[in-house]
Amino acid sequence: MRTVQSGASLHDATVVLDDRAILRAVTVVVGPGLTLVRGPNGSGKTTLLRALAGLVPLARGDRRVSGDVLYIGHRPMLLRGLTARENLEFFARFRGGDTRGIDGALRAWGVGEDMDRPVEHLSAGERRRAALARVETERVPLLLLDEPFADLDEAGANRLRQAIARARDDGRTVVIATHAHPELDELAMAQIAIDEGTATAA
Amino acid sequence: MIAAYRIALVARRELRAERRQPDGVVAAVTFIAVLVLLESLVVGPQVARDAGVAAALFWLALAFATILATMRSFDRELEDDALEGVVALPGGRDALFGGKVLSLTIVLVLVAVVGGALSLVLLNLSVALPLHLLLVVLLGVLALPAIVVVDVVLALRLRARAALVPILALPVLVPQLVAATRGTSAALSGDAVGALSWAGLLFAFAVVYTVIGLTIVPAAIE
Repeated sequence: MRTVQSGASLHDATVVLDDRAILRAVTVVVGPGLTLVRGPNGSGKTTLLRALAGLVPLARGDRRVSGDVLYIGHRPMLLRGLTARENLEFFARFRGGDTRGIDGALRAWGVGEDMDRPVEHLSAGERRRAALARVETERVPLLLLDEPFADLDEAGANRLRQAIARARDDGRTVVIATHAHPELDELAMAQIAIDEGTATAA
Repeated sequence: MIAAYRIALVARRELRAERRQPDGVVAAVTFIAVLVLLESLVVGPQVARDAGVAAALFWLALAFATILATMRSFDRELEDDALEGVVALPGGRDALFGGKVLSLTIVLVLVAVVGGALSLVLLNLSVALPLHLLLVVLLGVLALPAIVVVDVVLALRLRARAALVPILALPVLVPQLVAATRGTSAALSGDAVGALSWAGLLFAFAVVYTVIGLTIVPAAIE
Protein backbone atom coordinates (compact mmCIF):
# COMPACT_ATOMS: atom_id res chain seq x y z
CA MET A 1 0.00 0.00 0.00
CA ARG A 2 1.30 3.45 -0.95
CA THR A 3 1.99 5.85 1.90
CA VAL A 4 0.08 9.10 1.46
CA GLN A 5 2.43 12.07 2.04
CA SER A 6 -0.12 14.81 1.40
CA GLY A 7 -3.49 13.78 0.16
CA ALA A 8 -6.21 11.31 0.89
CA SER A 9 -7.23 7.76 0.30
CA LEU A 10 -10.18 5.43 0.54
CA HIS A 11 -9.59 1.74 1.07
CA ASP A 12 -12.26 -0.79 0.18
CA ALA A 13 -14.85 1.92 0.84
CA THR A 14 -18.53 1.20 0.44
CA VAL A 15 -21.15 3.92 0.85
CA VAL A 16 -24.80 3.00 1.18
CA LEU A 17 -27.42 5.73 0.97
CA ASP A 18 -31.17 5.01 1.12
CA ASP A 19 -30.48 1.25 0.98
CA ARG A 20 -28.53 1.66 -2.27
CA ALA A 21 -24.79 1.11 -2.63
CA ILE A 22 -23.49 4.31 -4.19
CA LEU A 23 -19.80 3.34 -3.87
CA ARG A 24 -18.78 -0.33 -3.96
CA ALA A 25 -15.48 -1.39 -2.40
CA VAL A 26 -13.65 1.60 -3.82
CA THR A 27 -9.92 2.01 -3.26
CA VAL A 28 -8.41 5.28 -4.44
CA VAL A 29 -5.30 7.18 -3.46
CA VAL A 30 -4.87 10.84 -4.37
CA GLY A 31 -1.63 12.74 -3.90
CA PRO A 32 -0.18 16.15 -4.76
CA GLY A 33 -1.19 17.51 -8.15
CA LEU A 34 -4.49 17.40 -10.01
CA THR A 35 -6.61 14.27 -10.05
CA LEU A 36 -9.74 14.20 -12.20
CA VAL A 37 -12.73 12.07 -11.33
CA ARG A 38 -14.65 11.29 -14.49
CA GLY A 39 -17.88 9.44 -14.96
CA PRO A 40 -21.42 9.82 -16.26
CA ASN A 41 -24.26 11.39 -14.27
CA GLY A 42 -25.20 9.32 -11.25
CA SER A 43 -22.02 7.24 -11.36
CA GLY A 44 -20.91 8.22 -7.83
CA LYS A 45 -18.49 11.12 -8.47
CA THR A 46 -20.08 13.37 -5.85
CA THR A 47 -20.26 10.58 -3.28
CA LEU A 48 -16.60 9.73 -3.88
CA LEU A 49 -15.62 13.34 -3.13
CA ARG A 50 -17.94 13.49 -0.13
CA ALA A 51 -16.44 10.25 1.16
CA LEU A 52 -12.94 11.71 0.82
CA ALA A 53 -14.16 14.82 2.68
CA GLY A 54 -15.64 12.70 5.46
CA LEU A 55 -19.14 13.95 4.75
CA VAL A 56 -20.75 10.54 4.29
CA PRO A 57 -20.38 7.57 6.63
CA LEU A 58 -18.63 4.52 5.21
CA ALA A 59 -20.59 1.28 5.54
CA ARG A 60 -17.29 -0.54 5.06
CA GLY A 61 -13.64 0.36 4.51
CA ASP A 62 -11.67 3.31 5.79
CA ARG A 63 -10.62 6.81 4.90
CA ARG A 64 -7.24 8.41 5.50
CA VAL A 65 -6.51 12.08 5.07
CA SER A 66 -3.41 14.06 5.85
CA GLY A 67 -4.09 17.70 6.59
CA ASP A 68 -7.17 19.89 6.35
CA VAL A 69 -9.69 19.48 3.53
CA LEU A 70 -11.52 22.14 1.54
CA TYR A 71 -14.63 20.66 -0.06
CA ILE A 72 -16.80 22.77 -2.37
CA GLY A 73 -19.87 20.95 -3.55
CA HIS A 74 -22.50 21.49 -6.23
CA ARG A 75 -23.87 24.47 -4.37
CA PRO A 76 -21.75 27.38 -3.04
CA MET A 77 -22.19 26.52 0.68
CA LEU A 78 -22.42 30.21 1.63
CA LEU A 79 -24.87 31.28 4.34
CA ARG A 80 -27.65 33.57 3.15
CA GLY A 81 -27.95 36.71 5.24
CA LEU A 82 -24.17 37.13 5.22
CA THR A 83 -22.12 38.93 2.60
CA ALA A 84 -19.58 37.11 0.46
CA ARG A 85 -16.79 38.72 2.47
CA GLU A 86 -18.36 37.73 5.82
CA ASN A 87 -18.79 34.15 4.65
CA LEU A 88 -15.16 33.87 3.57
CA GLU A 89 -13.96 35.55 6.76
CA PHE A 90 -15.91 33.00 8.79
CA PHE A 91 -14.29 30.06 6.98
CA ALA A 92 -10.78 31.54 7.20
CA ARG A 93 -11.09 32.40 10.91
CA PHE A 94 -12.54 28.99 11.70
CA ARG A 95 -9.38 27.42 10.30
CA GLY A 96 -7.28 29.87 12.28
CA GLY A 97 -6.11 31.53 9.08
CA ASP A 98 -5.50 35.06 7.89
CA THR A 99 -8.38 37.17 6.54
CA ARG A 100 -6.28 39.88 4.95
CA GLY A 101 -6.24 38.31 1.50
CA ILE A 102 -10.01 37.93 1.24
CA ASP A 103 -10.81 41.29 -0.35
CA GLY A 104 -8.08 40.78 -2.97
CA ALA A 105 -9.24 37.24 -3.73
CA LEU A 106 -12.86 38.32 -4.15
CA ARG A 107 -11.77 41.16 -6.44
CA ALA A 108 -9.65 38.75 -8.47
CA TRP A 109 -12.67 36.49 -8.85
CA GLY A 110 -14.79 39.43 -10.09
CA VAL A 111 -16.93 39.80 -6.98
CA GLY A 112 -15.14 42.91 -5.69
CA GLU A 113 -18.03 45.34 -6.16
CA ASP A 114 -20.52 42.93 -4.63
CA MET A 115 -18.47 41.53 -1.75
CA ASP A 116 -20.50 43.48 0.83
CA ARG A 117 -23.90 42.48 -0.50
CA PRO A 118 -25.73 39.56 1.16
CA VAL A 119 -25.09 36.50 -0.98
CA GLU A 120 -28.79 35.97 -1.70
CA HIS A 121 -28.63 39.16 -3.80
CA LEU A 122 -25.83 37.78 -5.98
CA SER A 123 -26.37 35.76 -9.15
CA ALA A 124 -25.67 32.02 -9.15
CA GLY A 125 -22.42 32.67 -11.05
CA GLU A 126 -21.29 35.34 -8.58
CA ARG A 127 -22.05 33.05 -5.64
CA ARG A 128 -20.04 30.31 -7.32
CA ARG A 129 -17.11 32.71 -7.87
CA ALA A 130 -17.24 33.81 -4.23
CA ALA A 131 -17.22 30.17 -3.11
CA LEU A 132 -14.29 29.32 -5.38
CA ALA A 133 -12.30 32.25 -4.00
CA ARG A 134 -11.93 30.02 -0.92
CA VAL A 135 -9.37 28.03 -2.89
CA GLU A 136 -7.09 31.06 -2.48
CA THR A 137 -8.16 32.28 0.95
CA GLU A 138 -7.96 28.93 2.78
CA ARG A 139 -4.52 27.50 2.19
CA VAL A 140 -5.38 23.88 2.91
CA PRO A 141 -3.39 21.02 1.34
CA LEU A 142 -6.37 19.07 -0.05
CA LEU A 143 -8.98 20.61 -2.36
CA LEU A 144 -12.07 18.63 -3.37
CA LEU A 145 -14.12 20.44 -6.02
CA ASP A 146 -17.35 18.97 -7.30
CA GLU A 147 -18.33 20.24 -10.77
CA PRO A 148 -16.67 23.59 -10.02
CA PHE A 149 -17.29 24.97 -13.53
CA ALA A 150 -21.07 24.93 -13.07
CA ASP A 151 -22.63 28.44 -13.31
CA LEU A 152 -19.33 30.02 -14.43
CA ASP A 153 -19.02 32.12 -17.58
CA GLU A 154 -15.90 31.90 -19.77
CA ALA A 155 -13.98 34.46 -17.69
CA GLY A 156 -14.83 32.62 -14.50
CA ALA A 157 -13.84 29.29 -16.03
CA ASN A 158 -10.49 30.76 -17.09
CA ARG A 159 -9.93 32.11 -13.61
CA LEU A 160 -10.71 28.68 -12.16
CA ARG A 161 -8.27 26.94 -14.54
CA GLN A 162 -5.57 29.40 -13.41
CA ALA A 163 -6.38 28.74 -9.74
CA ILE A 164 -6.22 24.98 -10.29
CA ALA A 165 -2.88 25.25 -12.08
CA ARG A 166 -1.49 27.45 -9.29
CA ALA A 167 -2.70 25.07 -6.57
CA ARG A 168 -1.15 22.16 -8.43
CA ASP A 169 2.14 24.03 -8.83
CA ASP A 170 2.10 24.83 -5.09
CA GLY A 171 2.10 21.10 -4.38
CA ARG A 172 -1.48 20.97 -3.14
CA THR A 173 -3.66 17.96 -3.83
CA VAL A 174 -6.57 18.95 -6.05
CA VAL A 175 -9.37 16.51 -6.87
CA ILE A 176 -12.03 17.63 -9.34
CA ALA A 177 -15.16 15.71 -10.25
CA THR A 178 -16.47 16.62 -13.67
CA HIS A 179 -17.92 14.89 -16.68
CA ALA A 180 -16.74 17.62 -19.03
CA HIS A 181 -13.80 19.99 -19.54
CA PRO A 182 -11.34 17.79 -21.45
CA GLU A 183 -8.82 20.68 -21.39
CA LEU A 184 -8.11 19.73 -17.76
CA ASP A 185 -6.57 16.47 -18.93
CA GLU A 186 -3.36 18.36 -19.74
CA LEU A 187 -3.08 19.62 -16.15
CA ALA A 188 -4.01 16.31 -14.51
CA MET A 189 -1.50 13.88 -13.03
CA ALA A 190 -4.05 11.14 -12.62
CA GLN A 191 -7.60 10.28 -13.52
CA ILE A 192 -10.15 8.12 -11.79
CA ALA A 193 -12.97 6.69 -13.87
CA ILE A 194 -16.09 5.88 -11.93
CA ASP A 195 -19.16 4.04 -13.14
CA GLU A 196 -22.00 2.57 -11.13
CA GLY A 197 -20.06 3.10 -7.92
CA THR A 198 -16.92 1.27 -9.02
CA ALA A 199 -13.74 3.29 -9.47
CA THR A 200 -10.76 2.45 -11.64
CA ALA A 201 -7.58 4.36 -12.41
CA ALA A 202 -7.95 5.72 -15.96
CA MET B 1 -9.90 27.35 23.89
CA ILE B 2 -10.02 26.72 20.14
CA ALA B 3 -13.38 24.97 20.56
CA ALA B 4 -14.81 27.97 22.41
CA TYR B 5 -13.49 30.32 19.71
CA ARG B 6 -15.09 28.22 16.98
CA ILE B 7 -18.41 28.10 18.86
CA ALA B 8 -18.28 31.90 19.14
CA LEU B 9 -17.59 32.17 15.39
CA VAL B 10 -20.60 29.99 14.53
CA ALA B 11 -22.79 31.99 16.94
CA ARG B 12 -21.63 35.30 15.48
CA ARG B 13 -22.28 34.07 11.94
CA GLU B 14 -25.78 33.05 12.99
CA LEU B 15 -26.57 36.34 14.76
CA ARG B 16 -25.34 38.34 11.77
CA ALA B 17 -27.63 36.40 9.45
CA GLU B 18 -30.52 36.76 11.91
CA ARG B 19 -29.94 40.53 12.09
CA ARG B 20 -30.23 40.84 8.31
CA GLN B 21 -33.08 38.34 8.00
CA PRO B 22 -34.92 38.66 11.35
CA ASP B 23 -37.85 36.46 10.29
CA GLY B 24 -37.28 34.07 13.20
CA VAL B 25 -37.36 36.78 15.89
CA VAL B 26 -40.29 38.62 14.32
CA ALA B 27 -42.32 35.41 13.95
CA ALA B 28 -41.57 34.38 17.54
CA VAL B 29 -42.50 37.75 19.11
CA THR B 30 -45.65 38.02 16.98
CA PHE B 31 -46.60 34.47 17.97
CA ILE B 32 -46.31 35.26 21.70
CA ALA B 33 -48.24 38.54 21.39
CA VAL B 34 -51.09 36.93 19.42
CA LEU B 35 -51.30 34.03 21.86
CA VAL B 36 -51.50 36.34 24.90
CA LEU B 37 -54.23 38.41 23.22
CA LEU B 38 -56.20 35.31 22.25
CA GLU B 39 -55.83 33.87 25.73
CA SER B 40 -57.45 36.87 27.40
CA LEU B 41 -60.24 36.82 24.81
CA VAL B 42 -60.91 33.11 25.16
CA VAL B 43 -60.70 32.59 28.93
CA GLY B 44 -61.56 36.13 30.00
CA PRO B 45 -59.27 38.71 31.64
CA GLN B 46 -59.77 37.42 35.20
CA VAL B 47 -58.52 33.89 34.45
CA ALA B 48 -55.87 35.15 32.02
CA ARG B 49 -54.37 37.35 34.76
CA ASP B 50 -53.94 34.41 37.13
CA ALA B 51 -50.18 34.03 37.76
CA GLY B 52 -50.20 30.28 37.02
CA VAL B 53 -52.20 30.61 33.78
CA ALA B 54 -50.21 33.59 32.47
CA ALA B 55 -46.92 31.84 33.24
CA ALA B 56 -48.01 28.58 31.57
CA LEU B 57 -49.10 30.37 28.44
CA PHE B 58 -45.89 32.40 28.28
CA TRP B 59 -43.69 29.29 28.48
CA LEU B 60 -45.77 27.31 26.00
CA ALA B 61 -45.56 30.23 23.60
CA LEU B 62 -41.82 30.50 24.17
CA ALA B 63 -41.36 26.76 23.56
CA PHE B 64 -43.12 27.05 20.20
CA ALA B 65 -41.20 30.25 19.45
CA THR B 66 -37.97 28.31 20.09
CA ILE B 67 -39.05 25.66 17.62
CA LEU B 68 -39.93 28.35 15.05
CA ALA B 69 -36.63 30.20 15.46
CA THR B 70 -34.53 27.01 15.42
CA MET B 71 -36.22 25.64 12.33
CA ARG B 72 -35.81 28.98 10.55
CA SER B 73 -32.13 28.96 11.49
CA PHE B 74 -31.59 25.49 10.01
CA ASP B 75 -33.76 26.23 6.94
CA ARG B 76 -31.35 29.05 6.19
CA GLU B 77 -28.44 26.63 6.57
CA LEU B 78 -29.97 24.19 4.11
CA GLU B 79 -30.22 26.81 1.36
CA ASP B 80 -27.09 26.56 -0.79
CA ASP B 81 -25.81 23.75 1.50
CA ALA B 82 -24.34 26.26 3.95
CA LEU B 83 -24.63 23.68 6.74
CA GLU B 84 -22.33 21.35 4.83
CA GLY B 85 -19.83 24.20 4.55
CA VAL B 86 -19.56 24.23 8.36
CA VAL B 87 -19.66 20.45 8.79
CA ALA B 88 -16.80 20.05 6.30
CA LEU B 89 -14.54 22.28 8.41
CA PRO B 90 -12.19 20.66 10.94
CA GLY B 91 -14.11 20.70 14.24
CA GLY B 92 -17.18 22.01 12.43
CA ARG B 93 -19.56 19.32 13.68
CA ASP B 94 -18.69 20.00 17.30
CA ALA B 95 -18.82 23.78 16.98
CA LEU B 96 -22.15 23.73 15.18
CA PHE B 97 -24.20 22.61 18.19
CA GLY B 98 -22.56 25.01 20.63
CA GLY B 99 -22.76 27.91 18.19
CA LYS B 100 -26.39 27.32 17.36
CA VAL B 101 -27.38 26.96 21.03
CA LEU B 102 -25.45 30.10 22.00
CA SER B 103 -26.93 32.24 19.21
CA LEU B 104 -30.46 30.90 19.72
CA THR B 105 -30.19 31.54 23.46
CA ILE B 106 -29.29 35.17 22.77
CA VAL B 107 -32.17 35.47 20.29
CA LEU B 108 -34.59 33.82 22.72
CA VAL B 109 -33.56 36.04 25.63
CA LEU B 110 -34.51 38.97 23.39
CA VAL B 111 -37.78 37.27 22.41
CA ALA B 112 -38.53 36.40 26.05
CA VAL B 113 -37.86 39.95 27.26
CA VAL B 114 -40.02 41.52 24.52
CA GLY B 115 -42.69 38.79 24.77
CA GLY B 116 -42.65 38.93 28.57
CA ALA B 117 -42.98 42.71 28.60
CA LEU B 118 -45.88 42.44 26.12
CA SER B 119 -47.55 39.85 28.36
CA LEU B 120 -47.15 42.04 31.44
CA VAL B 121 -48.59 45.08 29.64
CA LEU B 122 -51.38 43.31 27.78
CA LEU B 123 -52.53 41.35 30.85
CA ASN B 124 -51.80 44.24 33.24
CA LEU B 125 -49.83 41.90 35.53
CA SER B 126 -47.83 43.08 38.52
CA VAL B 127 -44.52 41.42 39.38
CA ALA B 128 -43.83 40.84 43.07
CA LEU B 129 -40.20 39.70 42.64
CA PRO B 130 -38.74 41.16 39.43
CA LEU B 131 -35.17 39.90 39.97
CA HIS B 132 -36.38 36.39 40.75
CA LEU B 133 -38.55 36.51 37.63
CA LEU B 134 -35.55 37.57 35.54
CA LEU B 135 -33.47 34.70 36.95
CA VAL B 136 -36.21 32.12 36.25
CA VAL B 137 -36.73 33.43 32.70
CA LEU B 138 -32.98 33.42 31.94
CA LEU B 139 -32.45 29.88 33.24
CA GLY B 140 -35.66 28.69 31.60
CA VAL B 141 -34.55 30.08 28.24
CA LEU B 142 -31.12 28.46 28.66
CA ALA B 143 -32.63 24.96 28.64
CA LEU B 144 -34.89 25.46 25.61
CA PRO B 145 -32.63 25.67 22.52
CA ALA B 146 -30.35 22.74 23.43
CA ILE B 147 -33.06 20.11 23.16
CA VAL B 148 -34.81 21.77 20.19
CA VAL B 149 -31.54 21.93 18.23
CA VAL B 150 -31.06 18.19 18.85
CA ASP B 151 -34.55 17.45 17.52
CA VAL B 152 -34.19 19.71 14.49
CA VAL B 153 -30.88 18.04 13.59
CA LEU B 154 -32.43 14.58 13.96
CA ALA B 155 -35.31 15.58 11.64
CA LEU B 156 -33.19 17.71 9.31
CA ARG B 157 -33.54 15.66 6.13
CA LEU B 158 -37.17 14.72 6.64
CA ARG B 159 -39.87 16.42 4.61
CA ALA B 160 -42.30 16.28 7.54
CA ARG B 161 -39.88 17.97 9.96
CA ALA B 162 -42.24 20.90 10.62
CA ALA B 163 -44.66 18.42 12.21
CA LEU B 164 -42.07 16.07 13.63
CA VAL B 165 -39.93 18.55 15.58
CA PRO B 166 -42.70 19.65 18.01
CA ILE B 167 -43.72 16.00 18.48
CA LEU B 168 -40.12 15.07 19.34
CA ALA B 169 -39.32 18.15 21.41
CA LEU B 170 -42.40 18.81 23.52
CA PRO B 171 -42.49 15.55 25.53
CA VAL B 172 -38.83 16.04 26.47
CA LEU B 173 -39.51 19.66 27.37
CA VAL B 174 -42.47 18.92 29.67
CA PRO B 175 -40.41 18.80 32.92
CA GLN B 176 -38.60 22.00 31.93
CA LEU B 177 -41.89 23.74 31.04
CA VAL B 178 -43.44 22.68 34.36
CA ALA B 179 -40.44 23.99 36.31
CA ALA B 180 -40.35 27.26 34.34
CA THR B 181 -44.09 27.81 34.77
CA ARG B 182 -43.99 27.13 38.51
CA GLY B 183 -40.92 29.32 38.95
CA THR B 184 -42.45 32.19 37.00
CA SER B 185 -45.72 31.88 38.87
CA ALA B 186 -43.84 31.93 42.19
CA ALA B 187 -41.90 35.05 41.16
CA LEU B 188 -45.08 36.81 40.04
CA SER B 189 -46.91 36.03 43.29
CA GLY B 190 -44.03 36.78 45.70
CA ASP B 191 -42.83 33.28 46.68
CA ALA B 192 -39.06 33.85 46.75
CA VAL B 193 -38.09 30.39 48.03
CA GLY B 194 -40.29 28.65 45.44
CA ALA B 195 -38.87 30.79 42.61
CA LEU B 196 -35.28 30.02 43.62
CA SER B 197 -35.96 26.29 43.98
CA TRP B 198 -37.47 26.08 40.51
CA ALA B 199 -34.60 28.20 39.16
CA GLY B 200 -32.13 25.62 40.48
CA LEU B 201 -34.02 22.86 38.75
CA LEU B 202 -34.06 24.84 35.50
CA PHE B 203 -30.29 25.20 35.70
CA ALA B 204 -29.99 21.42 36.10
CA PHE B 205 -32.20 20.89 33.02
CA ALA B 206 -30.04 23.29 31.02
CA VAL B 207 -26.89 21.35 31.93
CA VAL B 208 -28.45 17.95 31.19
CA TYR B 209 -29.94 19.04 27.84
CA THR B 210 -26.66 20.65 26.78
CA VAL B 211 -24.67 17.50 27.61
CA ILE B 212 -27.21 15.40 25.64
CA GLY B 213 -26.86 17.76 22.68
CA LEU B 214 -23.07 17.77 22.76
CA THR B 215 -23.13 13.96 22.73
CA ILE B 216 -25.78 13.40 20.07
CA VAL B 217 -25.49 16.23 17.55
CA PRO B 218 -22.03 15.55 16.02
CA ALA B 219 -23.04 11.91 15.37
CA ALA B 220 -26.53 12.86 14.19
CA ILE B 221 -25.11 15.28 11.64
CA GLU B 222 -23.01 12.52 10.09
